[in-house]
Amino acid sequence: MRAMELDHGDALRAGKAQAPKLSFFRTLRFRLMLSVALVHAVLMGAFVWSAVNQQSEAIRAELRNRAHSLITLMAVASTNALLAEDLGSLAEVTARVKRQPDVTNGAILDVRGDVLASTDPHQVGHYLRIPPRGSAEGGRHRLQLEAPIRVAGHQVGTVLLGMSTRHLQSELAATRDEGLLFILLALVVGSVAAWGVSLLITRNLYTLMTAVRRIGGGNLGVRVDLQANDEVGLLGGAFNAMAESLQRISEQAQSEHQQRTDAERLACVGELSASIAHEIRNPLSAVINAVKLLDRSDLPVSDRAQSIAILNTESLRLQRILNDFLDFARIRESRLVIGDLSALIEEVAALIRQHPHAGPVTVEIQCDVRPCMARHDPDQLRQVILNLMLNGLQAMPEGGQLQVRVRCCGRTARVSVTDTGCGIPAQLLDKIMRPFVTGRKQGTGLGLSIAQRILMQHGTTLSILSHVNVGTEMSFDLEVA
Amino acid sequence: MVAMLAAGRAAASRPQPYYRFGVLPLQSPTMLARMFLPLADALQQALHRPVQFVTAPNFSSFMRRVQRHKYDIIYLNPLLYTRARRWGYHVIVKVAGEPFTGILVVRRDSGIRGLDPRRLPPGLRIGFPDPNAYAATIMTRQYMAARDIHVNRDMKVRYFGSQDSALMAVYYGMVDMAGAWYPSLRSMPRHVQAALRVIAQTPPQPQMPIAVRDDMPAADVDRITQLLTHLTTTARGRAALAHLGFNRGFVIAHEREYNGVKP
Repeated sequence: MRAMELDHGDALRAGKAQAPKLSFFRTLRFRLMLSVALVHAVLMGAFVWSAVNQQSEAIRAELRNRAHSLITLMAVASTNALLAEDLGSLAEVTARVKRQPDVTNGAILDVRGDVLASTDPHQVGHYLRIPPRGSAEGGRHRLQLEAPIRVAGHQVGTVLLGMSTRHLQSELAATRDEGLLFILLALVVGSVAAWGVSLLITRNLYTLMTAVRRIGGGNLGVRVDLQANDEVGLLGGAFNAMAESLQRISEQAQSEHQQRTDAERLACVGELSASIAHEIRNPLSAVINAVKLLDRSDLPVSDRAQSIAILNTESLRLQRILNDFLDFARIRESRLVIGDLSALIEEVAALIRQHPHAGPVTVEIQCDVRPCMARHDPDQLRQVILNLMLNGLQAMPEGGQLQVRVRCCGRTARVSVTDTGCGIPAQLLDKIMRPFVTGRKQGTGLGLSIAQRILMQHGTTLSILSHVNVGTEMSFDLEVA
Repeated sequence: MVAMLAAGRAAASRPQPYYRFGVLPLQSPTMLARMFLPLADALQQALHRPVQFVTAPNFSSFMRRVQRHKYDIIYLNPLLYTRARRWGYHVIVKVAGEPFTGILVVRRDSGIRGLDPRRLPPGLRIGFPDPNAYAATIMTRQYMAARDIHVNRDMKVRYFGSQDSALMAVYYGMVDMAGAWYPSLRSMPRHVQAALRVIAQTPPQPQMPIAVRDDMPAADVDRITQLLTHLTTTARGRAALAHLGFNRGFVIAHEREYNGVKP
């Protein structure tokens, strides 16, 4: 019985280390033990209670019967001696009675109530009032009996007999103690047995639990080997089948994902290649044409100068395209630190305000909280905000309002860059994030792609809300520190 | 029990004093009780005072108690009465009708038919209730002595304490012959009576007396006398007599009737 791939001890230790702490009193083992112990206690309690009661009744009945037999015999044995007032014989009767077990006292009275014989010699010769009939119980530890001595229907005397119930009480106490001992023994034995049974049952469950945790941790190769032919054994089989199925599906999904990723990567490479080719084809054609023209000896000086100007312009354009592409391709891993967003935005805004095209544009910064501490990579986020603000600036060649706003909302800070420019046509909105997609003739279409890739490394994405001839709002969220 | 005794002493005085009716232990105490308890009840009603029936283990004890005035009313044999009257008792009534005789009883299947000394088997075993039993012992001994039968010499004598015991001893073959008197024989179970046979009867003597203490109030003495002499007139009285076996009841007795009684 073990979880394969790890030995059982390791598996249990791993399970215990990772499992939430389960109170002993809430475990199946404890509940099973408690149930069995309670059943034992209740059943044994009922049995012992019944047995003690029965034995108690039997002992009491035996004592009463013995007392009645004894007093009847006493009455019969003393009749002649009583009638003859044979004190010696009567004394012999009481002496013999006194020797009987549990007898505390005995007396023989004549019809007048005079004591003719008694186990207490001081009573002999004295008048003794006979206790009322029916008062058979003579106290907590005494059974007091009285029987008339009759001859031919005439009462000629009375016999009194007292018997101690101490022996009875001690027997009952011994029986009760024995019963309690049995209950205790049953509790202990039942609890130990229940503990053993619960161990047998739950040991497999613990193995299963450990295996489930490991599967939850991503190890789909875990299997259990439960040496049980009961429901738990079936559960183990079902678990193994489930794990097998999960592993198969997972491997299949992984394979499909890999294939899809490879395909997407290839498509992306193709798309990028096409985009790059498309972007560089026009300036490269212009450069080639300009070089061909310069190669002609009859080219007029004015045309030569124009060709050289085209050559310079298109070369610079090619260089800018390649630089942007390299920036896009070389985005490093983000190094997140906690820093003030508002200061970063102010810094970028200062740069924007000095941009050659910033003249007719009003730049406005709004921060709900200053400083607004958030987790980010300052260099990368500076580029994101710069790209977004440049996009806004370029969307308003005739002037307008560029607003950068930081709003704190719970554990996040929302940064939005809003312009009042020409807006993005609806057909471009879906693909505006792709590389080399742009709405401007002079743009490379990599600014938003770079911003989106950086933001994704920060665990967020760029949202765009735009209306043509109204303006555009681009926003993203960051975790507040 | 001690607490009960103390409570009894402290809280309750002894009930009305009893008259003690002592009966000579002619038979077993239980047998005597069956015979005399109805009479004791009748006396109790007449005297408006409880009457306790008592007997004694043997004749000697009975007479010692008589001497110590332990009984108020006594029923005894004529011979013992002659001693009792010296100790302060006087006779008021005696058993009526039936002559007071002693009888000698053998088993019905016994070969002993009479008291011919020549035909009595040697070593005959004879039983008596008590040496002081007047009718059963003294009178029968005197009767046999008058016929030249020497009991002490020719027979093996055993005393059984009471006439019942002596009669049962004959019945069971423990002795060959027993001295008794008719009331005792009549009180025996029927099968015992049927198995026994009377072979001799002594001449009559004054009947068994009932005497009272001299210091008993005269009114009570009168009540007792009236009751005893009129038992045959009431159903209850006749029932009491039936238990006693004295069907004719009691009659007034006089001291002089017992003057001639001697051992």
